[in-house]
Amino acid sequence: MALDEYDVDATELLETYDFLMKYIIIGEAGTGKSCLLHHFTHNAFKDHSQHTIGVEFSSRTVKLGEKRIKLQLWDTAGQERFRSVTRSYYRGAAGVILVYDITNRDSFLNMSQWLTDARALASPHLVAVLVGNKSDREEDREVEWAEASRWAAQNDVHFLEVSSLSGDNVEAPFLLAARSILLSIESGILDPEKAGSGVSYGDRALRRVTSSSHLSFGSLSGARRRRSDKLRLKNWAPSGKCC
Amino acid sequence: MNSDDGLHIVETLPNWNCISLSVPSRNAGTPVSASQTRNPITIRLRKILGTNFTDEATTEALRTLSELYGTQTIVSVSGSKAQTNGTDSDNDWSDEDADVGPVGEDHRECLNETASRARKNLRRDLENKLAQGSQQFLQAFSEVDQKLDELQNHVAAMRVACDEAETQLRLSSEASQSLLDRAESLRSEREEVEIRKSIVMLFLNRFTLNDEEAEAMTSRDVPIGPRFFEAMNKTEHIRNDCRVLMSGEDGPTKAGLDIMASTSSYLEQGYEKIYRWCSFEFRQMGRDTQLEVDSTMQQAICRLSQRPELLSEALAFLTQTRQTGLLSAFLDALTRGGPSGLPRPIELHAHDPIRYVGDMLAWVHQAIAAECEFLESLFGLGGGQEDDGRTRRMVGAVRTFRGSEEEGWVKELLNSAVTKLCVPLKVRVQQTVRSQESSIVSYKVANLLQYYMLTMRRTIGEDALLSTTLSEITDVSYKVFFDAIEAHGRALLRISLDPDDSSLTPPLPILEHAQLLREIMQVYDSSLLDDTTAEPGQTFNRILDVMLDPAMEMCAAAAEEKARYRPQWDRAVFVLNCWCYLQNVLEAFEFTSEKRRTIQEKIDKRVKFLEDEHYENILRDASLYDTVAIIKSKSPSDRLSHVLPAQQLQPTLARFSLWLSSPEVVHSPRLSALTSPSLHFYHPPRAYAQLCEEVRKPENRYEAASTLLGMERPFGQAGVLWAIFGLEEESEEFAAD
Repeated sequence: MALDEYDVDATELLETYDFLMKYIIIGEAGTGKSCLLHHFTHNAFKDHSQHTIGVEFSSRTVKLGEKRIKLQLWDTAGQERFRSVTRSYYRGAAGVILVYDITNRDSFLNMSQWLTDARALASPHLVAVLVGNKSDREEDREVEWAEASRWAAQNDVHFLEVSSLSGDNVEAPFLLAARSILLSIESGILDPEKAGSGVSYGDRALRRVTSSSHLSFGSLSGARRRRSDKLRLKNWAPSGKCC
Repeated sequence: MNSDDGLHIVETLPNWNCISLSVPSRNAGTPVSASQTRNPITIRLRKILGTNFTDEATTEALRTLSELYGTQTIVSVSGSKAQTNGTDSDNDWSDEDADVGPVGEDHRECLNETASRARKNLRRDLENKLAQGSQQFLQAFSEVDQKLDELQNHVAAMRVACDEAETQLRLSSEASQSLLDRAESLRSEREEVEIRKSIVMLFLNRFTLNDEEAEAMTSRDVPIGPRFFEAMNKTEHIRNDCRVLMSGEDGPTKAGLDIMASTSSYLEQGYEKIYRWCSFEFRQMGRDTQLEVDSTMQQAICRLSQRPELLSEALAFLTQTRQTGLLSAFLDALTRGGPSGLPRPIELHAHDPIRYVGDMLAWVHQAIAAECEFLESLFGLGGGQEDDGRTRRMVGAVRTFRGSEEEGWVKELLNSAVTKLCVPLKVRVQQTVRSQESSIVSYKVANLLQYYMLTMRRTIGEDALLSTTLSEITDVSYKVFFDAIEAHGRALLRISLDPDDSSLTPPLPILEHAQLLREIMQVYDSSLLDDTTAEPGQTFNRILDVMLDPAMEMCAAAAEEKARYRPQWDRAVFVLNCWCYLQNVLEAFEFTSEKRRTIQEKIDKRVKFLEDEHYENILRDASLYDTVAIIKSKSPSDRLSHVLPAQQLQPTLARFSLWLSSPEVVHSPRLSALTSPSLHFYHPPRAYAQLCEEVRKPENRYEAASTLLGMERPFGQAGVLWAIFGLEEESEEFAAD
C-alpha cells in the first residue's frame, strides 16, 4: 500500500527545514477538506466537524527524502458565501489540494471551476492534486475512479483517493504535491528565491545551497506508486541537474 | 714414577742382553730336563724371555730414554768439540770417548760406547737430574713463597682500608638517618598535599569556571552556541550549589561569597552577550517574510527570559525590524506584486472593492499566521503541548492564552509587529469605503471587515491595535453604509406620487427600494459571520428600521397628499398594498420576523380602519345600516319592536334580500384592488345574524318573529348566509339557531 511508504517518509520535525511551501485546500462544502487536513496534521479523524468559517491555518513539517519541508496549510471554507474571502488566500500558493466527495457527483463536476479559479489566482507554477475523499464509503460511490483519473490526466493534475475517516492515503496528496514542487525547483522551473512562488528556502537549505549548489533528492525517485497517473513523475526523475 | 719405570726397564735391558748372549752356552753346558722346567729360575727366565717389549709403554719408555741420552750427548759433544777440535755432531757417543777414539770412527761403535757408559751412569744421571729438578722446584717455591708474603702484606693493607671504610660507612649511615626520617616525613607531607590539591582542584572545577568556559562566556570570539550554553549552565549550577552550601549553619563563607561574586559577574557578562547576540540577530530578521528559528536562538531567548529587562530590550529590536519588514512586504504586495508581476499587485484590483479589501486583509491575516508561528517557535511554544510535537493551533480557533509569560510576550510582539500595517491598511480601506456609491457594496465591505475583525480578535486578541483598527474601520464602513441607506430613505420621503396614476399598486420608488432591501438581506443571509459570534439581528434590525420606516412613512404621507387632489382615489387600499408588499419582501428571510410583526401591527390597524369603512358601506348597500344603527343605539330596556316596528323591518329585509342577488355580494370592486389575498372583509352576515337574534329575543316582543324573518331570503338562517359567502361562522355569539 502506498500509504506505508509515505508513512516511512513522513517524519515530523520541528527543527529547521529546507523549504517552506504554501498550500491551499479547496473544494465544495462538505467534501471533507477540514477532516482531511485534520487527519494529516493530527493523525486522527475529526468528529463533529462544523462548516469552516472563512479560512483556517495549520502547518506541519514533513520529511521527503533528505529534505525537510514545512507546509503552511490554508484550509478554506467550501460554502459559496465565503468564496470572496477564500479567493484572497489563493494568492501565491504553491500547491492546491482539490477535494471532492466520491459519494457526491456534483462536488466532482464543479472541480473544473475550482481548478480554473486556483490557476488564475495562485502562483504560476501551481501544482494541483485532485483528491477523492471518503473512499471508505464505497457503497455510496457516485464518481468512478477511472473517470476522475481521466479528468485529472486531461487537466494535468495528480489524482488519488483518500479516506479521512480511516486515514487511508491522507498524507499522500500533500507529499505528492511537495514532491512535484521539489522536482520543479530542481529542474529550475520554480525559483524559491522569488517572492510569491509559494515556496521559500528554509535556513537549512540556504546553508546547503551555499556550500554546494547541487541538490540531490535522495530517495525521491526510489519508491514508486501503483497508480499510472503518477508514473509521469518518473520521467521527471532527477537527473542531477544543477539548480 | 715414569722415570722409575724407565730406570727399571733400562736396568733389565742389559740383563737380557747378557743372558741372550749366554743362552747357547748354557743350553750346551747343561741338559734340559723335566726337573729343570720346574726350577723357579727357569720359570723366571722363561717369563722374562717370554716378555714382549713391543708394547706401547715400553716403546715410549725406551724412546724417552734414548732422547735423554741423545740430547745429553749432543750437548756434551758440542761442548767438547768447542773445547777440542770440533767433532762432527753425528758422533754423539764418540765424543764421550774423544780421548779414546778418533773422529770418524764407526758409528755403531760409538753408540755402543755411549750405551755402555749410559748403563754405568744411568742411576747417577737420573739422580742428578732428580736433584736438578728438585732444586728447580725449591727455587720456584721460594719465589712463590716470596710472592705470597707480598700478597699477605697486601691483604693486610686491604683489611685495614676496609675497616676504615666500614667505620666511615657506619658513621655516615648514622649521620643520614635523620635525613632519611626527614625525607620520609616530607614524602608523607607531599602526599597529603597532593590529596588536598586534588580536592582543591575538584572544588575549583566544581565551583569555578575554567579558562575555556570563562572565555566562552565573555569573549566575543566564541559564538553563541552549545559551548556557551554549557558554560552558562555550569555557572548557574555553581551558583545553585554555592547557595546550598552557604545556607549551612556556618553562614556565608568568604570563598562562597567570592564564588558568588565572580560567577555573578560572569553570568551577567553571559547575559549581556546573549543580549548583544540576540539584538544583532534580530536586526537581521527584517528582510524575510518567512522566518525560522533555530534551536540556538530558542535557547538564547529562553535564557534571556531570566533577565526580562534585557529580553525586552532585545525584543524591541525585533519588533522594530519586524515592523519595517512587514510594512515593506505589505507595500510590495500592494504595489509591486511578485518579482515578475505574479502574483499581481493587490492594488491592481482596487476597482473591485470587495476583492481589494479582501486581498489586503487576507494578506495581513497570512502574515500574522506566519509571524505567530515564528514567535511561538521563538519562545518554544510552537505547538509543543502535544506529545507528538505537531502544531495544533488553528488560526480560526479561539486561542486560549493561559497567561504564561511566553504567551504574553508572543501576544505583545505579534501586536506590535503588525502595528505599522494598520495605517496603510486603514487609509486604503477607508478610501475604498468612502468612495463607494452602491450601498450594497459598502454593506458587503462592512461585512467583510467585520468578519476579519472577529478573526483577528481571535488571533491576536481584542486589545491589539490591529483589532481596534479593524473595529474602527468596520464602524466607519457601517456608518458609510447607514448614511447611504438613510440618505436613500430621506430621498424616498421627498418623492410624491403621480396624481394622475389611478392604480393602487406600490409605486416604482418603493419597488426599487424593496429591491435594494432584498439584496441587503441576501448579503446578510449569506453573511460571513458565524451565527454564534455576532449579536444576532441587532445590526440588521437597525438596517430594517432605516430601510422600511421611511418607505412606509412615505407611502402613508404621499397617499395622504395625493388623496387631497383625488378624493375618490382609494388611499387606504394603496397604503395597505404598499405595506403588504414590503412585508412580503421580508417574508423570505427568517431573521426579519421581528420587523414583520411590527409591520403586521401597523397593517392590522389600517385594516381595522378599512374594515370599518367597508362594513359601513356594505351595510348601506345592503340596507341594513339604519337597522343596525337602531339596534345599537336603543337602550337595553326598550323593546326593539317599539323602536323598530315589524312593518318597518320588513322592507329592510326585502331590500337585503334584493342586495344578496346583486353581484357585489361576492365581489367587492374596492377590495379587489387589495393585492394581498389575506385581507377579506365580509361582514354582512354578522349584521344579519345580529338582527335575527335581536328579532327572536322574546323581550323585544316581535309577534311571529320566525314568520317575519322567514318572509324574505335567507329566511332567518344566518348559517346559510355564512355558507353563501364561503366563510365559517364567525362565532357562537352571532350564530342563529
